[in-house]
Amino acid sequence: MLLPGATRREFMKREQENRLPLSWKLLDGMERVVAFVWPSRFRHAVGWWFLLPALALVGILLIGLGYMVQYSLHELDISTYRLRADYSLANFATFLERPVYMRVLVRTLLASVIVTGVTMVLAFPYAYQLVRVRSAAMRKFLLIALFLPFFIGQVVRAYGWLIILGREGLVNGILGQFGIAPLNLLFNYPSVVFGLIQYMLPFAVLLIIPAVAAISEDVELASEGLGANWWATFRHVLLPMARPGLVGAGIVVFTLTMTDFAMPEIMGGGKNDFFASAIYDGFFQLSNPGLGAALSIILVVVGSVIVSGAFFLAGAASLKARGGG
Amino acid sequence: MTRKPIFLTSRRTVLKTGAAAAGMLAMPAILKAQDKPGEIIVRAWGGAWGDALREGVADPFTAATGINVRFDFTEDNEIKPKIWSAVDQGRVPPIHVNWDTTTNATISALRGVTVDLSDLSNLDGLLPLAKPAGLDGYPLVNTYAYVYVCAYRKEAFPDGPPKSWNVLIDPKFKGRIALYDDGIGFNPIAVLAGGGTLADIPDNMEPGYAFYRKVRDNNPLLGEDPDFTSWFQNGEIDVACTISVNAREAKQNGIDVEWTIPEEGCKVDTDGLWVPRGLPANEEHWAKEFVNFALSRDAQQKWCSLLGLPPVYPGLEPPADLVGDPAYPTTEADFARLISIPSPILVENQPIWFSRFNEIFQG
Repeated sequence: MLLPGATRREFMKREQENRLPLSWKLLDGMERVVAFVWPSRFRHAVGWWFLLPALALVGILLIGLGYMVQYSLHELDISTYRLRADYSLANFATFLERPVYMRVLVRTLLASVIVTGVTMVLAFPYAYQLVRVRSAAMRKFLLIALFLPFFIGQVVRAYGWLIILGREGLVNGILGQFGIAPLNLLFNYPSVVFGLIQYMLPFAVLLIIPAVAAISEDVELASEGLGANWWATFRHVLLPMARPGLVGAGIVVFTLTMTDFAMPEIMGGGKNDFFASAIYDGFFQLSNPGLGAALSIILVVVGSVIVSGAFFLAGAASLKARGGG
Repeated sequence: MTRKPIFLTSRRTVLKTGAAAAGMLAMPAILKAQDKPGEIIVRAWGGAWGDALREGVADPFTAATGINVRFDFTEDNEIKPKIWSAVDQGRVPPIHVNWDTTTNATISALRGVTVDLSDLSNLDGLLPLAKPAGLDGYPLVNTYAYVYVCAYRKEAFPDGPPKSWNVLIDPKFKGRIALYDDGIGFNPIAVLAGGGTLADIPDNMEPGYAFYRKVRDNNPLLGEDPDFTSWFQNGEIDVACTISVNAREAKQNGIDVEWTIPEEGCKVDTDGLWVPRGLPANEEHWAKEFVNFALSRDAQQKWCSLLGLPPVYPGLEPPADLVGDPAYPTTEADFARLISIPSPILVENQPIWFSRFNEIFQG
């Protein structure tokens, strides 16, 4: 018996649906559930939902910072080793009254500037060569050389330098072969800066690589075709176009150096502390969380001001993936 | 007439009652024993220090009780705030027993985070040194004394050991001297070496600071216990103020190191054990048992012999290599030759001294 047209179409549709694989049906079902739970008009909010975990992490960090601010406003009662209940700016006054803190802060910032400058100078050619090199084998070599240090922690690397640069280390051993008396290569400011440059270099290279890779080689060829020598091309083409990577790398290296603890502790011989050591001493050596928190807040403020200044000078848009601005 | 066996029934009742009473009395101990934790965690220093505690106390304690002892090598200054915050927040502390300097332990006692150990059976008969000064009861118990000696490389001193701490400001040793990075063990000595007297401590430390400035100009290395051993081993330093244990360990490891007590004297101090508040009852019980065990004759003999330090248990023989060594004080006369600063003074002034030390050496 023939069915009426409409009914037949429905029948055919149902038949087709019945022939669909089970997995498709499941997916259709899931789609309907998702459409019910998350209607399409909410679609524009999807990105924000994915941002939530990151925002939550930052939020937790801010809560921690809030606690630090609160601690910093209470002085230590040395008879009970507890913070007094009343609010006070005594911990911040301690920072101002004791010149050692300012000296250590200046030492830290100076090292951050030196390390950032030298690291950028060394990192850019490495990143450029890694992106532009024709030989696949050489690229692999450069990549391995770049990533290898990441598998070796900072503390291990610092101890490695102790072995190499020590009085009876490799370098002094070689110098001794030529009759040169052992040199004091360790436990001074330059050795700390040297260790930090070696530590920061891979970070900087990794951050500069995408910026260099985004510069088409044709642009360089065009520049040369228009008569620019390599220096002019580097200065007027490569550097401006790589600015997003350079700014990002510079800020990362600067802030990491500014907050570093292990390298000055291990390679500084106890007399070249960075500000992180002063914070550590406040919390642990002096058992004074109020002072430790105050010093932490000062470092955060100083770091934030410097980074904001860098953004202001370089333009916040300089961090855009393709520059411009 | 048969006599009713009243006595027999009564005796049985008495026996039953007695057994029940004995059981009741023993119950807390039985319950505690049944509630033995699988392990207890003891914060310790590493290297020769931890090895000595393992061999002298922890392993015998495990053999006697069946409780494993795990060491936590967190630095003593770092474990302190962790315990404090755990106690304040009502959390279980991260360790059961803290092996600590007496100064740090006293600070924790002042903070009110330590359990009273007055009921430990092995406290009886210990030397007075075991009792913490300036505190009620036993919020901690001192376990041995130690001396911050002048350790030196023999090769660098062909004419004999340094006679004075002024060796630290001798330009001949510029860059080849070392102190602790917080001045611990040397603050009072610096006052004497700088021309002051014991009466100057703690109110007038200026002679010490003046001496520190001269030491700074001689470019010292500043570090912690393990640094001294490695610096001697790697030929980085010729002379250092360090605890005799470190110098002895270096010597036992074949490094050419000796030690001496210079004419100004050396600082003598104590370490102790304490149990943090906030542990579950059974764990606290066994933590205290560990401390009690560490104060027993055998444990003191073994532990302190391995460390090469005079114990608080009286009458024990020193290790053969330390007989007559001034860094191993046993009699009152021995102690009189050393500089001892009471814990309350250290607790009150150490932060100030550390700040000044830091200002001088970070300049």
